[in-house]
Amino acid sequence: MPRKHASRRLAADVCLLLVTVAFGLPLAWVVLSSVDPHADLRVRVPGGLTLANFDAVLTPDITYTPLLNSLILCGGGTALTVACAALAAYPLSRFRSRLNRPFLLTILFATSLPITAIMVPVYALFVRVNLIDTLQGTIFFFAASQLPFAVWLMKNFMDGVPKELEEAAWTDGASSLQSLVRIVLPLMGPGLAVVTVFSFVMMWGNFFVPFMLLLTPDQMPASVSINDFFGNRGMVAYGQLAAFSVIYSTPVILLYILVARRLGGGFALGGAVKG
Amino acid sequence: MRRLTRVLPLAPAVVLLLLFLAGPIAYCVYIAFTDLQLTGQAHASFVGFGNFRHAFHDAEFRNAVWLTLVFTVLSSLVGQNTLGLALAALMKRASKPVRTLTGGVVITAWVLPEVVAGFLLYAFFRREGTLNALLDWLHLPRQNWLFTLPVLAVSFANVWRGTAFSMLVYSAALDEIPSEITEAAEVDGAGGWRRMWHITLPMIRRSIGTNLMLNTLQTLSVFGLIWVMTRGGPGNRSQTLPLFMYEQAFQNSMIGYGTAVALLLLVVGSLFSVVYLRLLRTEV
Amino acid sequence: MRPTAALSALLTAALAATALTGCGSGSGSSPNTLKVSYKQSTDNSVKVMDTYLAGVKKEFEKKYPGKKVEFVPIKAPDSEYYTKVQQMLRSPRTAPDLVYEDTFLINSDITSGYLKPLDPYLAKWPDWNQFIGTAKAAARGQDGKTYGVPDGTDTRGLWFDRRVFAKAGLPADWQPKTWADVLAAARTIKQKVPGVTPLNVYTGKPAGERSTMQGFEMLLYGTGQGTSDPLYDSATKKWITAGQGFKDALTFVETVYKEKLGPDVSDALDPNFATTVNGELLPQGKIGIDLDGSWLPQAWLAGSGHDWPDWSKQLGLAYMPTQNGQAPGKVSMSGGWTWAVPAKAGNPDLAFDFIKAMQSEANAKKWYIANSGISVRKDVAKDPSYATAQPGIKFFTDLVATTHYRPAYPAYPKVSTAVQEAMEGVTTGDASVEKAASAYDSTLKDVTGGQVIQK
Repeated sequence: MPRKHASRRLAADVCLLLVTVAFGLPLAWVVLSSVDPHADLRVRVPGGLTLANFDAVLTPDITYTPLLNSLILCGGGTALTVACAALAAYPLSRFRSRLNRPFLLTILFATSLPITAIMVPVYALFVRVNLIDTLQGTIFFFAASQLPFAVWLMKNFMDGVPKELEEAAWTDGASSLQSLVRIVLPLMGPGLAVVTVFSFVMMWGNFFVPFMLLLTPDQMPASVSINDFFGNRGMVAYGQLAAFSVIYSTPVILLYILVARRLGGGFALGGAVKG
Repeated sequence: MRRLTRVLPLAPAVVLLLLFLAGPIAYCVYIAFTDLQLTGQAHASFVGFGNFRHAFHDAEFRNAVWLTLVFTVLSSLVGQNTLGLALAALMKRASKPVRTLTGGVVITAWVLPEVVAGFLLYAFFRREGTLNALLDWLHLPRQNWLFTLPVLAVSFANVWRGTAFSMLVYSAALDEIPSEITEAAEVDGAGGWRRMWHITLPMIRRSIGTNLMLNTLQTLSVFGLIWVMTRGGPGNRSQTLPLFMYEQAFQNSMIGYGTAVALLLLVVGSLFSVVYLRLLRTEV
Repeated sequence: MRPTAALSALLTAALAATALTGCGSGSGSSPNTLKVSYKQSTDNSVKVMDTYLAGVKKEFEKKYPGKKVEFVPIKAPDSEYYTKVQQMLRSPRTAPDLVYEDTFLINSDITSGYLKPLDPYLAKWPDWNQFIGTAKAAARGQDGKTYGVPDGTDTRGLWFDRRVFAKAGLPADWQPKTWADVLAAARTIKQKVPGVTPLNVYTGKPAGERSTMQGFEMLLYGTGQGTSDPLYDSATKKWITAGQGFKDALTFVETVYKEKLGPDVSDALDPNFATTVNGELLPQGKIGIDLDGSWLPQAWLAGSGHDWPDWSKQLGLAYMPTQNGQAPGKVSMSGGWTWAVPAKAGNPDLAFDFIKAMQSEANAKKWYIANSGISVRKDVAKDPSYATAQPGIKFFTDLVATTHYRPAYPAYPKVSTAVQEAMEGVTTGDASVEKAASAYDSTLKDVTGGQVIQK
């Protein structure tokens, strides 16, 4: 029996390693090319090590401005999403109401709508109400598009916080907001972190929304500017493209690792959405 | 008053959703029945079902529907879902370092920004790219993937990018199966595949259902990945509905028509969404 | 009211307020700032326009103290540039004060009400009399008003590489008389000079108007008798369905790609392929014959990105022949770009002042030389320092006599897209010539509202 177990483990290991190599090849390309002075399109050991690619892209035009724009857009959007979601989740989780079920069903329905589909009308609408090409308009739309999922996640996490503690606080005269901010939210720290990071990561990587809603080149976040700058492939310096990709991807990977560490394995999200 | 304060915290979320989600959807329904154009037109007018009639006679629209189906079935149903389940099952048996490594790599692909993922896979599938280098090395015939089989290339790209989600969902589901059950089956002499088919799958069928729905819905709205890799081309060989919609609305200037296509996409998405809700029914 | 309630009420109010002010406030452009949008090359090393505009800006700001010029460059392949510009013109918030518009699109944008008539300004501007008649007509709407000031025109022909021709045993003073001569030369190159693209003809939607004009129309206008426009019938004001000439032109494109005389199809369908042709392939001697525009040398001038002082020794020029050599024997198409003032511009007066600054005789000459343009100003055209600035100017200027102009009516951009789709079909081999032509007919009917005629 133990031998059978060991051989089975070996087989599983080999299979997984094969998949890992297949998934890892494109990742290896970007990392290796970013330090390769003569990078091209295939994975290979760099001819030499250089930081010149990073040097070349670390300019306000290519890196700093777009990243700052991304930060403003995604930071603003995430803050708005998390604040609204926490407020909305509280009554849904704590009070019984006839409205809860239809509301949650609507929210859940909205989580799965293909947002891509409404971008053309959103563009037309934003032209009408003059929100086109504004950061605040884009932030609002980002927040609205993430909100259904955020509310749903937040409510599930909040359900896991025992009610008894708040009831004690209520009898001491605390208001709902006080108990939400002082008791519930601190107790659901990991859940809050998941919602925040998830919203941020989704917005950070989103291409279509800013592509449609912003027009002025100076306001473009990294997801769009990278395409403008490197979209011209015939001439592109692949090393620089790789270096930029590394810089642009690092924040979300770090955030993910941070949350995954705290939650032990990062499977909390999987658990929360499995329904 | 008490009821009011209970409902009030919902207000910011509701306002945001009404203004920026419900509003555009309503506007979508309105524009879909007009012939609004980006250029070349003084005033838009109401055209009834004209855009929809046009769509059903439009060979390019049918092509886009077909490609969307292929893309969804290949990358979501077959690719992400099956691979995700296989990975989750294998990870339960594998040694810890391998598990961590695989999880790390697969999840990194998922966390990467859409456009970066697009570029990486563009480099991978491009004529001078890694895949062809690999095929040369194995003495297998090379292909200009993005040109000859663009749907396959973008489908693989979507598998690469989206499998982590299924893997996480299934890992969580498998963890919840009490180990006594599988052990009992093992004692009874049931082989690996039979255990999977007769015991594991039925026990996680709800997860399978929800995962399939969510995967499909995500896949239906993929835009950036395909845009960066092929822009829907060459020709319109990888033009799924979102790309078709964009092209009609902006490059061909027919915003009304593009919006009508968007509305159809939205309706299909809603149908899936309703099915998903039914699967979850007892939970809410 | 409890704090929770207060907070949510506040948030709601804030949200509503922001959304509302969003509606109210204007573009936020101050009366002293002039926003200028133009197309920036997708080749990061080519800065012809950027450099020229920066010079004019300096001059302008000196002449009008207190005014500031702000550039809003759009870096995109052609087809995406037009889309972005139209999106910007729709809203007063994003509309610049001055925009660079391709003449083929201008009527379409005029119809949409995106542009402002310039007649009151032009009437008071003496330099306008220096513009030749076709240039003045280039940006005239169907209402008879003028909406743009052209900054040059262009013609088209065949560029061939003498290095490649020598290796293939073809003459250094090559001049084909028919389409068959062109194909024959390409076949010889394919046979004798491996590793070189024998004949580049732009094709497909990704290259946008470039495919239609440099590729298809250079062929189509050389079919038939050449006495009337093959795309648009001005007598009935209807668009013409695909006839024999149309199919012959498609067949030419099909032949080029089927026999692999052209670039690899996946390259040809890359939206930035033109940048590669201009910046890399031609200088490196990787293309035998290139059916292209008169402006190519702008990328090869000293300091403009791809210095190539010897280009005129290595490249030869030949006019594009008509299909069977019928009169007038050669074909050229002309287009060009204009500076236009958006209807929603905040500072139209200042914008026209900037046009005047760009189109002073000295600056106009500087621009024509920098971008290898063909002058539409009589004074500059007569100036010997312009006429001799670059080899090739004479060749392309002489073509103006026999050149054709596109029927740039409001529906033209959509017709052009339909042409590109037909080309793309035969290029990839997805459609036969017959099938592509009949698809063109049905698309034509859709995009022109049924205003079609068979000829």
